[in-house]
Amino acid sequence: MKREIGTRTEVQTNSDVAISVKNLHKSFNLPTEQAFGLKQAIFNRLRGIKGYKEQKVLKGLDFDIKKGEFVGIVGRNGSGKSTLLKILAGVYYPQKGEIIINGNLIPFIELGVGFNPELTGRENVYMNGALLGFSNKEMDAMYDDIWEFAELKPFQDQKLKNYSSGMQVRLAFSIAIRARGDILLLDEVLAVGDAAFQQKCNDYFQSLHDKGQTVILVTHSMESVRKFCNRAILLEDGKIVLDGEPDKVASAYNKMLGIVEKTK
Amino acid sequence: MHMSIPRVLNRKNRILLSELTKTDFKLRYQGSVLGYLWALLRPLMMFAILYLVFSKLLKIGNDIPHYPVYLLCGTTMWSFFTECTMQGIQSIIVRGDLLRKISFPKYIVVVSSTLTAVINLLINLVVVVVFALINGVAPSWHWLLVLPAVFELYLLSLGIAFLLGSINVKFRDITSIWEVIVQALFYAVPVIYPITMVAGTSTLAAKVILLNPIAQAIQDIRYNLITTETVTTWNFIQNTFIAIIPVLLVILLLIIGALAFRKKSKFFAEEV
Repeated sequence: MKREIGTRTEVQTNSDVAISVKNLHKSFNLPTEQAFGLKQAIFNRLRGIKGYKEQKVLKGLDFDIKKGEFVGIVGRNGSGKSTLLKILAGVYYPQKGEIIINGNLIPFIELGVGFNPELTGRENVYMNGALLGFSNKEMDAMYDDIWEFAELKPFQDQKLKNYSSGMQVRLAFSIAIRARGDILLLDEVLAVGDAAFQQKCNDYFQSLHDKGQTVILVTHSMESVRKFCNRAILLEDGKIVLDGEPDKVASAYNKMLGIVEKTK
Repeated sequence: MHMSIPRVLNRKNRILLSELTKTDFKLRYQGSVLGYLWALLRPLMMFAILYLVFSKLLKIGNDIPHYPVYLLCGTTMWSFFTECTMQGIQSIIVRGDLLRKISFPKYIVVVSSTLTAVINLLINLVVVVVFALINGVAPSWHWLLVLPAVFELYLLSLGIAFLLGSINVKFRDITSIWEVIVQALFYAVPVIYPITMVAGTSTLAAKVILLNPIAQAIQDIRYNLITTETVTTWNFIQNTFIAIIPVLLVILLLIIGALAFRKKSKFFAEEV
């Protein structure tokens, strides 16, 4: 099958629009057979079976995000939030539609991408930094700060497999916040670690908010939406059902889930 | 009005490429007592076995000067080719976690994994040169001509890795199929037997063998590094238009591989 391809362009202009999304569609071809290989493919071709089923995940999204906006994207599991984020990040290709990214975009689909358990903390910091576009020299300069922030300095020469999962996330978060870009894409990376570390994370997001950083945040936490965002988008079944005030969107989301909110 | 950002080897991609290569190389020898020494020991051990069996027991190649080095040189280049293609083909799956989570030019994954093989080759070439000197081969400026042939072999491996690697994402059988092909190719290339042995029975067969780019590159390297008595594609096939076929094959394969890779790589993140 010939797949259609939409476009995703990165530009640098003075326009006040940071991200423009027009008529974005995306579907995945999910294999229907369990066996996955050449034999099955030839069999399917001979029998005239497609061997996969098309699942529509995003069904025509339109929105613009202005520079300086802190936008929360909310929705139930499977509503298409993460797919949207991955398409904005350039990981998945848009199937149909047009995306224009204006400025330098730094995506965090997940913390600690490329972390390798067999390498030491030190080696992983440099590797992870390279994925964010930092050279060895730049990493040298911020190296101590990263460990300081993570509060893990004594463990820097231990292999990562000897870290607890909480320690790994803290290290990853400490590297991630070094990234400097015009637009940040964040997927559920709020509030990691223990209460004390969560406070540090909160401070970081508050600072992003205060300095007018353009952020797109995918989250399930309506508390974060209300606290940091100045706009929110509610997705349901691959479509935008509400786009506007964080407070209204958060209430609509809770209502959708049947959560009764305490009146203030 | 607006400037488009993507460039093939911009700063960010260069940093990523070098860091991935370093990591690959480190991980390869993690947890082994001898560490990087294995990069040297593996081809040396393969050479020792082949030398014992073919040169000492079967008495092959006694008419070629410096035959032990000649053999070592062949096995070293062969190891490079197999390592390069195997690593390259599997690299997209091995690095699947990265592809699924960040956006970067996918070829970096293939190139970084094959560069590890290049580093290994450079270490091994030092060993070959040392052996050559011990064996009485006179140093010569011709040694520099080895580099273009090594480069050609690398481009060939890269072309194969791009082409098969992109198919391998969906059809994992490719890895196994390639293993079998490599086994067969080993005997189709004059690594352990001298090409003169084949030429003695059939000139045509020898010519066909020499049209294989792997054979052509290995014979060129031996010619320039060890002995000008080496039979090469160029001195065995007089017609230049035919002798150029191996080089054209490499270019063709690289173009096909790159095009296939470019087309398929858009969907690696979804399919890997």
